[in-house]
Amino acid sequence: MTTKTVQATTPIWCPGCGDFGVLASLKKALVELGIKSKDTVVVGGIGCSGSIHNNLDCYGIHSLHGRLLPTAIGIKLANPELTVIAAGGDGDGYAIGAGHFIHALKRNPSIVYIVMQNGTYGLTKGQPSPTAVPGYEGNVEPPFDAILTALSIQNTSFIARGFSGNQSQLTDLIKKAILHANERKGFGFLEVLSPCVTYNDTYKEWRERVFNVDAEKDYDQHNRLLAFTRASQLMSEGKIPTGLLYVGSNNSLETNTLTSKEPMALQDISIEKNKSRYEELLRDFR
Amino acid sequence: MATKLEEAVGIAPVLKDDISVMIGGQGGDGTLTVVNLLGRIFRDRGLYIYDARNVLSRIRGGHADGVIRASVKEIYSMGDQIDVLVAFDEEAVQAGLSELSENAVIIFDSSKGQLPDSYRKSSYLIYSAPLGNMAASELRRNIFKNTVAFAILGRVLGFEDKVLVDVLKARYERRGKEALESNLKALSIGLSFADKNVPSSRYSMAKGNSSGKILSTGNEATAFGFLVSGGRFFIGYPITPATDIMEWLAPRLPRFGGVVKQAEDELAVINMGIGAAYAGARVMVATSGPGQSLMTEGVGHAGESEIPIVVVECQRVGPSTGEPTKNEQSDLNHVVYSSHGEFPRLVVAPATAGECFTMSVQAMNLAEQYQLPVFILLDQALCQNSACIDPFDIGSVKIERGKLLTEEELLRLSYYKRYQFTEDGISPRSIPSTEGGQSQVTGNEHNELGLVSTDKTNRLKMMHKRMSKLEHAKRDLPRGVNFGNSNAKIGIIGFGSTYGPIREAMVQLSKGGIDVKYHQIRTIWPILEDDLRAFLDSLSTVFVIENNYQGQLAALIRSSIKEKSGIVESITKFDGTSFKPKEIANAVSSYLSGKIEK
Repeated sequence: MTTKTVQATTPIWCPGCGDFGVLASLKKALVELGIKSKDTVVVGGIGCSGSIHNNLDCYGIHSLHGRLLPTAIGIKLANPELTVIAAGGDGDGYAIGAGHFIHALKRNPSIVYIVMQNGTYGLTKGQPSPTAVPGYEGNVEPPFDAILTALSIQNTSFIARGFSGNQSQLTDLIKKAILHANERKGFGFLEVLSPCVTYNDTYKEWRERVFNVDAEKDYDQHNRLLAFTRASQLMSEGKIPTGLLYVGSNNSLETNTLTSKEPMALQDISIEKNKSRYEELLRDFR
Repeated sequence: MATKLEEAVGIAPVLKDDISVMIGGQGGDGTLTVVNLLGRIFRDRGLYIYDARNVLSRIRGGHADGVIRASVKEIYSMGDQIDVLVAFDEEAVQAGLSELSENAVIIFDSSKGQLPDSYRKSSYLIYSAPLGNMAASELRRNIFKNTVAFAILGRVLGFEDKVLVDVLKARYERRGKEALESNLKALSIGLSFADKNVPSSRYSMAKGNSSGKILSTGNEATAFGFLVSGGRFFIGYPITPATDIMEWLAPRLPRFGGVVKQAEDELAVINMGIGAAYAGARVMVATSGPGQSLMTEGVGHAGESEIPIVVVECQRVGPSTGEPTKNEQSDLNHVVYSSHGEFPRLVVAPATAGECFTMSVQAMNLAEQYQLPVFILLDQALCQNSACIDPFDIGSVKIERGKLLTEEELLRLSYYKRYQFTEDGISPRSIPSTEGGQSQVTGNEHNELGLVSTDKTNRLKMMHKRMSKLEHAKRDLPRGVNFGNSNAKIGIIGFGSTYGPIREAMVQLSKGGIDVKYHQIRTIWPILEDDLRAFLDSLSTVFVIENNYQGQLAALIRSSIKEKSGIVESITKFDGTSFKPKEIANAVSSYLSGKIEK
């Protein structure tokens, strides 16, 4: 008889919310990859999309606003055998979390980061977020592009963009991101265009503008400069590049940082085991 | 050892069982090296040492000095005066002037000019030599002036030449032939000067029985305690005076499969720590006031989510950037009260390096047993000054992980709820990868399952659950320690590095006929009312000694033990330096004599 635990809850999102698409694809990906729920940790950010950790049957933790990347990285370093998926909105990730975003890209930790991008702060009723276009709710600043930013940082290894309106592509990208992370190849960064039907319904507009680079015959996923150029080109034509835009091979954070195959979270920290080696350190205190 | 000349004229060295030496100059003059060399010699004689650094927040230049005190007795404080001052410039003399004893010895580097007459008190013994120029002319580098000075200092203190040579060899042997040769040459230059100009040693040093003791700063001891407690993951950001903890652990944690991670800012530090602790690692983070301000939200999050983490706050002069390298105890209110909302946290305050070790272990155990953030409150003097202490007792360390569930234990539960209501407020905890422990953790108010809830009944129960941990923890928190005559009518309370000065002040007061008892408070939050009440019971006055402006501990005591608030008096010092024993003794006695006269 297994122990009863908390069950996944129904999302709090409005009907039609793009986040439903992300949840469905994420569930499907986890099942298809056969990842055990006991080994999965979903770290949710603050905001509508960040509550996604409640909607899955696994370990879930709600971080502080903007801090889900350091939280997720802490979890991964403590126990790298876990599948760690950080998921939040673009306000959480690119405004208050921007500093951590840059450093996560730079560090290349083997976690998945899904940003549900919708140009707005939905839960607080529709203020412009960093990806908002000028004119939206008084916004005067041009939008921030996370894909170009990620491409410009040397250590990134997986950069993709999906769209809630294209489930099959999204499921495929989520699977690839999880595999990338679980093979210890590094940071599986996936921005998902996930419209907020209540405060910034961009479904129609985005459906017309998305452009799947994977469908391009000669698109080279492994060339950072070409990817940057092609993405910039497409954006200047009013298109939004989607698909797996870049895959690179760089040392992951765990490779560079961890000092033992045994996860720190699971180590035998008893005095008996370590006493003699601790006592050797007393020599450092002459 | 008196020379024949000394014997002939009857000038014998004064035997010292307690001496303070200050070495001062500009940052980069090598003053701290001389302190270290002296320390080695003193310790080889079995003396206890206590040393303090007085540096600025810069790398080169600006006044910097080191003070070292040696005693046959165990000491945790600088003394009331400086007996010997080695000064590489006039500014160093200026800096030490007010502390010099009546018959102080000054060794002055006259390379930039003679010491002005205004400093030349007739009772001082002044040896003046162009130390920098002497080093530069024979060794081509001015930096060796510190070793030249060391030679003269060695003669003043009555050390044999061989002792000086040996300690230089021990230090420089591993740094290359050239370094050793140059320093030995510098030493001989100094000794030649001394042969001609220092006819007799002013002092000879007593011998003591401190052998078997080790030398440690509070920071090193805190770091080592963390490691021994099973700590494996330290996340930090460089900040004075906490950086030493990170740097001590950086080469050592990896040997135990652990990691030291420098994050991009303190927001990342506390949140990475929370993630790692949630996943089951034992985690410590360390910072100072400015970093603690940044960590404030995170600490509240740990309190609400019931995640165990140890946060070391190495207090320095504030507010804002303040004085990074100077001593203060003004963040007590910060660690006790800060962060929005109400949640349980513990604050413990060691007073010596020995306690830094034991309480570092204790803090980690408390954090996991009670599933909340535990602060270790240190201050710059405790963090960075060195003292001789008993070797750390690793064998007596106990690891207590609280209600951390194994898979077997989880299987025996019919229903696992991360925030289950229990009698002691502590719920069973499972970490990711444990089957059956799948759960939700959040900083939102939540029900037993960790799901967001605004239900009124649930809210009341959850607040009680968490806050009741404070009451339950009292049985496990470090109790205060009392010193002195338990029947005394005058009391002193203090925490952290005021320990040393207070204990010496008590001796001075006793000699002056004032009997005092001292309560060394070791848990700042929650206040252990029973301990305090018992201590305050028979007192007519209690002096709360602290290095801050507002008397934060005094206010906390007054509000905790209301019926005694009238007897609480504050003695504060907030100029960036530690109390001297006589300052405390004078403040107490003048208050009491003023009171009597009324």
